[in-house]
Amino acid sequence: MRGRTAHGTALFVAAVLAVVLFAGARASAQTLPGQALAFDRSKGNCLTCHDIKGGDSPGNLGPPLADMKTRFPDRKELAAIVFDETKRNPQTVMPPFGRNLILTDGEIEAIVDFLYTR
Amino acid sequence: MRVWICLAATCWLFRAGAAQAASTEADFKTAMAVAETAEQDAGTLKNQWIPTEQALAAAKKAAAGGDFDAAVAQAKEAEALAKASIAQAKEQQTAWKAGIIR
Amino acid sequence: MKIFRTMASVVVTIMIATLIVAGARAAAADSIDPDADFKAFRDYFTKLFPNVPLNDFVNGPYSMDAELRKQWEAIDDFPPYDFAIDRGKQMFATPFKNGKSYGDCFPDNGIGIRQNYPYFDDKTGEVITLELALNRCREANGEEPYSYVKDEMASLTAYMAFTSRGKPFDIKIPDDPRALAAYQKGEEYFYARRGQLNFSCASCHVQNPGNHIRTEVLAPALGIVAAMPIYRSEWNGMGTMSRRLVTCNSQVRGVPLKPQDELYRDVEYYLSYMSNGLPISGPGARP
Repeated sequence: MRGRTAHGTALFVAAVLAVVLFAGARASAQTLPGQALAFDRSKGNCLTCHDIKGGDSPGNLGPPLADMKTRFPDRKELAAIVFDETKRNPQTVMPPFGRNLILTDGEIEAIVDFLYTR
Repeated sequence: MRVWICLAATCWLFRAGAAQAASTEADFKTAMAVAETAEQDAGTLKNQWIPTEQALAAAKKAAAGGDFDAAVAQAKEAEALAKASIAQAKEQQTAWKAGIIR
Repeated sequence: MKIFRTMASVVVTIMIATLIVAGARAAAADSIDPDADFKAFRDYFTKLFPNVPLNDFVNGPYSMDAELRKQWEAIDDFPPYDFAIDRGKQMFATPFKNGKSYGDCFPDNGIGIRQNYPYFDDKTGEVITLELALNRCREANGEEPYSYVKDEMASLTAYMAFTSRGKPFDIKIPDDPRALAAYQKGEEYFYARRGQLNFSCASCHVQNPGNHIRTEVLAPALGIVAAMPIYRSEWNGMGTMSRRLVTCNSQVRGVPLKPQDELYRDVEYYLSYMSNGLPISGPGARP
């Protein structure tokens, strides 16, 4: 009895691992969800104002988004900027993506993940 | 044995997550009334947002199709958007001056 | 006892005097001064763009971007708004069913007067734009008003602008608190953030003239109404002042007001006053 249970558990775990790895592999072969959100005009629409590697015809109202890990080592700070930059700069033209319900918290986190790859 | 317990537990968890109280038409009407009143107030301030109107339309459409869970969710989203637009208008009544070229 | 009463009177007098002075100062700070605004507005843009001749601001993005300007000059032999001028001229000359025509509603038969609009009408206490005046003319003569965002209105205003090409804006704010209030409402509309995207008109046209959103170069607010109505390549057609305001609202995800809403007329009044002295360049072409 014991031998068969251990064997069954191992199979189950292996199956789960296989599914997870397979799904993970598919995600990285496609665009990162954060990049899709950042470039989507109805979501982050970041290229309208920011030059970001991987995007075309960017605007220049905001600074280029590069070296983000170096410039924003504090993830919370970067997320706060996306959520509501008017808190730091009342005259900013950057939309408050969180405060004005343009992006969900999850979407902001995904975009931050993406920005950290730039 | 442990495998089956794991699987059963997982299934139970999923079921528990899905088993929230289903919204009724009455729930929808209440949520919609709140949202529409807020949007009217935003209209008085001449500051309605397009996504609010879209959420109200989506709520009506979902309700017409009998999906009151979705309808209530959209109505609540519309309410949140309308309230955000009202907050913006009220804040801007004084904040606008900060941008004037002097 | 008497000394306390005297002291109390003195203190109260001082307090009242202070309040009056403070009140006067507060009123002065809040008082509307279009001429001071005008000077500050002009200085801001001419300092920001010292190499742009003053009159060139009426060319919007073309005054900001040399590459864009080359493209614009290339199409100038066959301006895309020519058909609108021709149509507008024909419409203007065609009498209404009652025998009257547009010229009867306007000074100088409606020719060469566009630079005086908008004006403040002290009889009705409101701002009258050219588009509003045209539709009121139609209605006064038994005709249906035109849509403010479609081609008929664009053709009429294109023709009238064309007859005023080169004439400097001459917008007046009479010494009337209602006119000053309309001016200030227009100024407020211009600077207030709106829409889910939280932009004011100033966000683009004061803070970012010459910069570009995606590939679109932003025009400076100085002179921005001088080229109306415009043929926009992006629209494949003409756009009236009303259409532009409605579109700007939607672009920041704000539900547009009705064309020629009081606030739209007020903001046109404000922007036109800020452009006083600059030449009418309409009808214009834009990317």
